[in-house]
Amino acid sequence: MERSLKQFEADRLDAARVAAKLILASGTTSPRVGGVGECTIHTFEDSCDIEDICQEMERMADLKENWSFFKRDAAILRDADILMIATSLRCVADPADINCNMCGKLVCEYLKEEEKLPPENDIAFRGPLCIFRANNIAYAIDGMISQARNLGIDYGVYWSSGAAAMRMRLLPKNTGFALGLGLSVTEKSPFRDIPLDYADINQRTMNDRIIQRLWPQFRSIYS
Amino acid sequence: MAITELPDLINKGLQQAVELMAVAAYNSYRFNDHNTVKIITIGKEEMETIAEYCFSLGDMSPLAARDGRFLVQLIKEPCSLMIIGDKRKSPFNYDCGACGYRTCKEMNKAEKVESLTANGPSCQFKNLNLNIAANSAASLAHRLGLHCRVFSTLAFAAMSLEIIKEVDLVTSVSVSASKKNPYFDRHEYWTKEHWNETFNKEFPTFNRGFIGAVEE
Repeated sequence: MERSLKQFEADRLDAARVAAKLILASGTTSPRVGGVGECTIHTFEDSCDIEDICQEMERMADLKENWSFFKRDAAILRDADILMIATSLRCVADPADINCNMCGKLVCEYLKEEEKLPPENDIAFRGPLCIFRANNIAYAIDGMISQARNLGIDYGVYWSSGAAAMRMRLLPKNTGFALGLGLSVTEKSPFRDIPLDYADINQRTMNDRIIQRLWPQFRSIYS
Repeated sequence: MAITELPDLINKGLQQAVELMAVAAYNSYRFNDHNTVKIITIGKEEMETIAEYCFSLGDMSPLAARDGRFLVQLIKEPCSLMIIGDKRKSPFNYDCGACGYRTCKEMNKAEKVESLTANGPSCQFKNLNLNIAANSAASLAHRLGLHCRVFSTLAFAAMSLEIIKEVDLVTSVSVSASKKNPYFDRHEYWTKEHWNETFNKEFPTFNRGFIGAVEE
């Protein structure tokens, strides 16, 4: 690749990293119900780290019919420059004590006594969670989206990546709920215009099937 | 030459801003593109009713009483309250477990538990969509230069009073065009005497000379 194109590629990734920091700031300062610190935001910049999470998402996709779309999400996120994951840390063990009944247990004391779902493969989040607390993640994510839009950065929200990162123990130990936000600084957003069967038919597989696989034969025949 | 005075400009601007906030909330990010939130705005008369109701909950919820007391002050200047609600059941079929049921089907079949604040059990992703809408409205209000704060208490009251109907989950976004930001640093209420009395009652150990010493 010519020098100037390589430089552009490096600068493009730098821009994504700088944007991620500002997006983290916006997600952190967005409103929190009760004003209590509850959410953390983690940034995965290394494409190998993102790949690990994508592979976990693919493993999870095989566990449950309803999660089959995790494979599509993984194929999309492989094209992200950065993956950010927002967590909710108080929704498991520290209910808000305002007896809001969003969880359906009437009062927080009953929620505390309620047994959590077992740590089994087909359970993404071990509820019942304190929904009032976990709602904070909505504000964090929308704060991040809002900043991404301000900055003109392409984004996509994927709960599958949050669930996978939790399963891989990449997040703080008290995480009860997590959502992922993919970021991209590219001319065409990798998060929009997703065809059917995207897990199987995407830029990588097209390139592999149509170019990489046929090119050696083409060379052999036409040389 | 038509001259519009400042109070008119403020009131008309506020009205337009609230309408734009509703558009922002309505068009906000949604999981699975489920756009089911209900959005209303209410006037000062309804806000007064909410304020009285919140204040009456004083013994049960000091927070609601604080917000009721605050709302009485707020409505003295141009302001509006947007209430956003949604139903509790899951149309997503994610079977994520966050609600405490293994599947969305189980949660949707579970007995509805009603209360003054919300009806549960509810889908976590429905809640996220609702609160993302609230944040989008608040975000736009901020950009438009309005004073703004998100309140759960006022929304709970609106649901109890059936000001917003046919919803199980609610939140609210309050905006104001008052001379100074009314939502934070609300010091007018705290006279020196009231502060001392309340603080000493709630945090007696703070001013105690020795741990364990109790002055009768």
